[in-house]
Amino acid sequence: MNGPEWAFPVVESLHFIGMALSIGTIAIVDLRLLGIAMCRQTASDLEADLHRWTWFGLALMLITGPLMFSADAPNYHHNPAFHFKMTSLFLALVFNFTLRRYATRTETPSLLARVAGAVSLALWTCVVAGGRMIAFV
Amino acid sequence: MNIVSALEWVESTELSTAIREGALLYPIIGGFHLVAIALFGGMLVMTDLRLLEWAMQRRKVSDVIEQMRGWKRAGFALVVSSGLLLGWAEPLRLYRSPSFWVKMALLTLVGVHALLFRKGVYQNAKALDAGVTPRAKLAAALSLILWAGLVVSGRLIAFDA
Repeated sequence: MNGPEWAFPVVESLHFIGMALSIGTIAIVDLRLLGIAMCRQTASDLEADLHRWTWFGLALMLITGPLMFSADAPNYHHNPAFHFKMTSLFLALVFNFTLRRYATRTETPSLLARVAGAVSLALWTCVVAGGRMIAFV
Repeated sequence: MNIVSALEWVESTELSTAIREGALLYPIIGGFHLVAIALFGGMLVMTDLRLLEWAMQRRKVSDVIEQMRGWKRAGFALVVSSGLLLGWAEPLRLYRSPSFWVKMALLTLVGVHALLFRKGVYQNAKALDAGVTPRAKLAAALSLILWAGLVVSGRLIAFDA
């Protein structure tokens, strides 16, 4: 990453494209859980349609993220925004595979589904906003 | 009044100074720009991947396009308005940034793309349920390329001096 000067922006761009794929597909299901988008399908059908792309995006992010980290590890280590982002990411992933998964599989629209959709959207927003703040703190 | 002095005037406005020099405003608006890309970019990509028959094949083309249309528009409005505010904060730097002009050229092509394909493809979704036409696939591929280019050139602006 400390090689040619285009390396960092290229990796960063791939990180953004991974973001649109993973968080973007998660958001589609979240909005469905909230009952405000894609209502012609069930949340579990949508999840089945999209999870491959969610994984693809996550893989892209988990490859490019550590690459950017490795370019300037000491600075990230001391950056509070980075810590906020990593904490949010951990919570978002745990939530994704526990409560949200359970809520997605429950077919009837429920309070649980709405809460799961809202919490998931909030957590991923924290991940993105925290990432943006890394450059400013 | 030439362009540079017009841009200098923009930079002297209260709004521009506030965004540029306030500690929080610029990162917050930048955060909005990025969160909007994260939350709604997925719908754009999925719409085009559906047209390419790479994703959501079990859903009808019209179901995907019609249900995502409103959200994509809202996301586009958010990205553009936050982008305008970011641009208002530092117009002179952007004016001198080659990546910015690449991004604006791509944005113009997005407009051309809409003129060429909106009616025949995206607003004609029901007709595509029977089979996605080559023209629709071309539209989808071009859209994905244009938006990937917008992301890359947008990111590169930060690296121009």
